[in-house]
Amino acid sequence: MNSKIEKELDKLLEAKVISRSVQEDIKAYYAKDTVEKPNKLFAIFGVLGSLLTGLGIILILAHNWDDFSRATKTFWAFVPLVVGQLFAAYTLFKKRSSAWKETAAVFLFFAIGASMALVSQIYNIPGEMSSFLLTWIVLAAPLVYLLKSHAVALLHLLFATIYACNVGCFNDTTPYLYLLLLGWLLPYYWMQLKSKPSSNITGIFNWFLPLSLLITLGAFVQWDDSFVFLTYIFLFGLFYNLGKLPFFEHQKMRANGYLLLGSLGTVFTLFITSFSFVWDEFINDFLSINDTAVTIVIGLVTLAVIAFMYSKKRLRPFNLFQYVFVLFFGICLFKEGGSFVPTILVNILILALGVFAVEMGARKNLFSVLNYGLLIITGLITCRFFDTDISFVLRGLLFVAIGAGFFGANYFMYKKQQKQQKLTINE
Amino acid sequence: MNKIYLIIGFIIMVAAQWFVPGQMIVEQESVLTEGTAYKFKTRPIDPSDPLRGKYITLNFEMQKAFTKDSTINYGDALYVCLKNDADGFAKATIASKEKLDNKLDYIKVEANYYFQDTISFRVPFNTFYMEESKAYPAETLVRQANRDSILNNCYGLVYVKDDRAVLENVLINDEPIKDYVERHIKENTER
Repeated sequence: MNSKIEKELDKLLEAKVISRSVQEDIKAYYAKDTVEKPNKLFAIFGVLGSLLTGLGIILILAHNWDDFSRATKTFWAFVPLVVGQLFAAYTLFKKRSSAWKETAAVFLFFAIGASMALVSQIYNIPGEMSSFLLTWIVLAAPLVYLLKSHAVALLHLLFATIYACNVGCFNDTTPYLYLLLLGWLLPYYWMQLKSKPSSNITGIFNWFLPLSLLITLGAFVQWDDSFVFLTYIFLFGLFYNLGKLPFFEHQKMRANGYLLLGSLGTVFTLFITSFSFVWDEFINDFLSINDTAVTIVIGLVTLAVIAFMYSKKRLRPFNLFQYVFVLFFGICLFKEGGSFVPTILVNILILALGVFAVEMGARKNLFSVLNYGLLIITGLITCRFFDTDISFVLRGLLFVAIGAGFFGANYFMYKKQQKQQKLTINE
Repeated sequence: MNKIYLIIGFIIMVAAQWFVPGQMIVEQESVLTEGTAYKFKTRPIDPSDPLRGKYITLNFEMQKAFTKDSTINYGDALYVCLKNDADGFAKATIASKEKLDNKLDYIKVEANYYFQDTISFRVPFNTFYMEESKAYPAETLVRQANRDSILNNCYGLVYVKDDRAVLENVLINDEPIKDYVERHIKENTER
């Protein structure tokens, strides 16, 4: 049992808030809970140990022991694989704890890679890194479900992301197979969301999945001569709306990667497009055919998410952040007429988002949201310093005003909270 | 999960994990034992792979072949027929998008550019893995030997069977590159 809780219980007993029997009951409850809880620390160190051992084996084999014969090297190529498979079979069929399964699964994951790498090395098999990674990921994919390994699920996602970047970044190939690899993981993620929505590992997935999609979007779009900001705003719109789904909305803010990435990404992309030169650069181009298709697909999925929330009556109260992607699309339609109108409209949109966040923070008594709104407004003013001819005095006055706004808004919130606390105590 | 499904799933996974590297071995061994050996004149340079270790990339002299097919595009798969020249080194004769029925051995390559009845191409077997301390000396020693004109030949020994080719070894003046590098490193330390 946690020593901090034990100390608190002693204090409460001394202060006669609880009786000795209640103290004993609480201690017994925690003691039982500790026994039932799987040893998380063992799992973490097991996974770390396997990760390091696996990587170490790959490096040792990569040395290329050229004094050994081809047959000897081939034999050694299979040794880590066999050890990993036996270890996995033992943990699976002897029904060992999840910590054992995680350790075995991670070891086998790297053993597969080591074995393939050594065979490629022995026979001088050429080939792209991407095809090597793809075979590795596919061969290790069943481990996610057979051994129910969170660590391998994360490795699957990480390697799939590396694969997609390897295939699609800096060349014309589109890594469609990444979508299949991602699809393989979705039922597992769904099970996690259903069975353990508040667990740490689900929180980690809530961050890693959108991060992976965000990174790999770069491999699906063509950066040259394409206004990819629209595609990114659509993706961030999708993230934000996913983060508003009932699954995620009631979770801790830090576990809702969709909402945070969606909001921050939207604001960041808007800041970039608030500069007129960005619109000047792409004045004659819009999106390539490929990028249009990607953007339409993301947009349709986002609209489907919004429609789902509408059907569940979850779109009230109004939240401007949920519709930024549609408004930005509207702004893009003014692009043909020059950079002036879209630049002004994006600036107004950022200001509206800042004011909206401040209002929402004040309404919900959330300091974090209120200050986020103020930061958006500050960011907007800072950005405008770089491309406008406003005089130094006016810029100075603007900064003083926004600084005073920070103080004023936070003080107002503080007073409001105090007043509410007093009311609660009096009641 | 039902235990029987679990066992079946696990067995299939293990079998697949054996099958992929196993099939790689069987394919390569069949070419090495049953294929015809060709010498491809080459020059090595030394890059590195984070997973598979140090290797030398082989820059083959043979990179052009005759063809009348002007529809060949960059990146197309081609079949290049092989012959030995008077010195016993591999020589590309004719290239085609389809396999030619002329009883010659052929290799599968990737097309570069077509110009005046000639197609340039890239051969796939250009990677030779070496022990990590020998890859870079291999490159520098070959460059040095080339400069001093003491290098008669540096070639890759490639076994060819159907459209598969396996690079068995790289030889310098008929000595395996590993031994050549070891001998020179030893000589340099003794000096």
